[in-house]
Amino acid sequence: MKQGWKRAAALVCLLALVLAGCSGLGESGGREKVRLMVWSPTEDQSKDSGMWLQTCCERFAELHPEWDITFVYGIADEPGAAGSVSQDPEASADVFMFANDTLTTMTDAKALSKFGGKYAEEIRRTNSETLLSSVVLDGEIYGVPFTSNTWYMYYDKSVFSEEDVKSLEAMLEKGVVSFPLTNSWYLPAFYFGNGCTLFGENGTEEAQGAQFGGEAGAEVTEYLIGLAQNPNFRIDADGSGIAGMRDGSISAMFTGSWDAAAIQEILGDNMGVAALPTFNLNGEEKQMYSYLGSKAIGVNTSSDYMVQAVELALYLGSAEAQLLHFELRNVIPCSTDLLENEEIMSNPVVMAQNDTAARTSVLQPIVSQMGNCWTPVENMGKGIRNGSVTLDNAAEQTEAMNDAMNSDGIS
Amino acid sequence: MEQKKLGMKAARRRSNIAVHIVLAILAAVWVFPVLWVVMTSFRGERGSYVSTFFPQTLTIDNYTRLFTDTTILNFPQMFTNTLIISIFSCILSAFFVLSAAYCLSRLRFKMRRPFMNMAMILGLFPGFMSMIAVYFILKAVGLTEGSLIRLALILCYSGGAALGFQIAKGFFDTTPFAIDEAAMIDGCTRWQVFTRITLPLSKPLIVYTVLTAFMGPWVDFIFAKVICRANADQYTVAIGLWRMLEKEYIDSWYTSFAAGAVLISIPIALLFLKLQKYYVDGMSGAVKG
Repeated sequence: MKQGWKRAAALVCLLALVLAGCSGLGESGGREKVRLMVWSPTEDQSKDSGMWLQTCCERFAELHPEWDITFVYGIADEPGAAGSVSQDPEASADVFMFANDTLTTMTDAKALSKFGGKYAEEIRRTNSETLLSSVVLDGEIYGVPFTSNTWYMYYDKSVFSEEDVKSLEAMLEKGVVSFPLTNSWYLPAFYFGNGCTLFGENGTEEAQGAQFGGEAGAEVTEYLIGLAQNPNFRIDADGSGIAGMRDGSISAMFTGSWDAAAIQEILGDNMGVAALPTFNLNGEEKQMYSYLGSKAIGVNTSSDYMVQAVELALYLGSAEAQLLHFELRNVIPCSTDLLENEEIMSNPVVMAQNDTAARTSVLQPIVSQMGNCWTPVENMGKGIRNGSVTLDNAAEQTEAMNDAMNSDGIS
Repeated sequence: MEQKKLGMKAARRRSNIAVHIVLAILAAVWVFPVLWVVMTSFRGERGSYVSTFFPQTLTIDNYTRLFTDTTILNFPQMFTNTLIISIFSCILSAFFVLSAAYCLSRLRFKMRRPFMNMAMILGLFPGFMSMIAVYFILKAVGLTEGSLIRLALILCYSGGAALGFQIAKGFFDTTPFAIDEAAMIDGCTRWQVFTRITLPLSKPLIVYTVLTAFMGPWVDFIFAKVICRANADQYTVAIGLWRMLEKEYIDSWYTSFAAGAVLISIPIALLFLKLQKYYVDGMSGAVKG
């Protein structure tokens, strides 16, 4: 109970400070001593990739001579940070990076601060509507997005033309395409294409539930059964996609920016990157849609130096820091301030990721119910692969998947 | 008569062949994954997925990389951390287990039976159930920061060891009381009986205890993960190897992961080879009248 009060008090303090736009407590007599703990993935701190975090933190300290800041660095990658922070907020970093799908883990533990006032304004100003909504829960902003997180298509330019990559069917005629059919972060792309929805139109209305069943869902399942049997189609699992690219047996695969360097090394100048293609469902061209998430910088509710922590989070998510992040580590920037930057906009991976974010993606829902949606979809993919989902029982199996996605039970 | 003998011989031969074929298949199944990891650790091609069983090119780069490319995943440091933690917890827990087992086997006191029952019941719960509680206790004592994390992990791994006394107690029960009594008549104290008489007679048991006490912390993942949190300089090999398989690293680190897996098996193999001869020594029977 005491803990709860402390956290609530911290939250109220933060809000008060943020709303007032006030710049610090106890500033009497020279510089205020501040100790900020910052967590990031290893690469952001390693010498080999330019020590992005240290550089940015030092620049931040220079920008704020009124504070005497001691930085303490720790290692926590974006998907894992939420676990560590919610385990023990008090002993966790003041500022950390998290993947937006772990947002509810931390808000449930009351460990993630809301951004208000001028800070919220700034975040709204520098982010696109879609990306902003990836860190918004119940109308409150919980993080500063610094990159989008999604997947798209890499292909061999010597096999496919730019016209070909607009349609999956055209591609399958010309070369071998690999898709992670058994991975539930990828598979829903086809279902979204045929009008299926998760938690309403924009993924925030939990009560709407998953709508992957019915006629629309069954059609997609039937299409996927045919796709899996196509001789030019390979299921990408356990790294078989990139291995196929390497030995030349596969000419196109679906993945995200984390594989860009490896594919660049394999294909060289022939590397093509594009947003998702359409697929031909019973004579109609339907667009595939990937999940779009973000990685964002969050502030701990238990921080002792709330103003400084919030300011630092804003700085680490600023256009300047994002640009440096891109130069050092190829982390794809998302700030709308950088849309004019030629160096960034000429990079094909950035182009494809931005195009995907804008045109061929749906926001990955962060409602708690979403947790029930992963396994049933994965099982559907596996069923299609091993032949237990057939044209005869497709409708029935799709309905069963949808029921499981909407149920809390373990099934 | 002669023919019958021959017939039996043939029958035995046939069944022997059948048994050996089954054993050979089982052995292949058992050795296969180990062999595969060793081959992967020498594989020249990158990536986690290969279409051929045997590596196309051989290299030792995967090993050298573990020790030279330390800015992202510092394998030598993780290895040292784990070795320190394992050695100390091994000594401590082996001592705890043997002492507790000796007391329960030789001494008679009021709480003996209740204690054994309680230990049995506690042993039914998996250790990681208490993980978060253990973390908060260690934090309250101030052991979750910096290099004190090593001490915290040693405490974690050895603290509950005494509850696993059952096998050792069973072993001590088989050495006759008469030897103890003889020693005590000659003027030995309980401690001397334990160190001079019981332990030298229990070498196979000690080998077993030391091996299991070393293996536990050496391969543990979950406690290390919960207690190390963001302190990358305190990571153990289990966490390091797990990180190599994350989606950002898996393509370039997979073969080094296999190399790391081979390397961590070396200390255990050495320990076993070193201690193996005592198995035989102990078995040959020191107790003769």
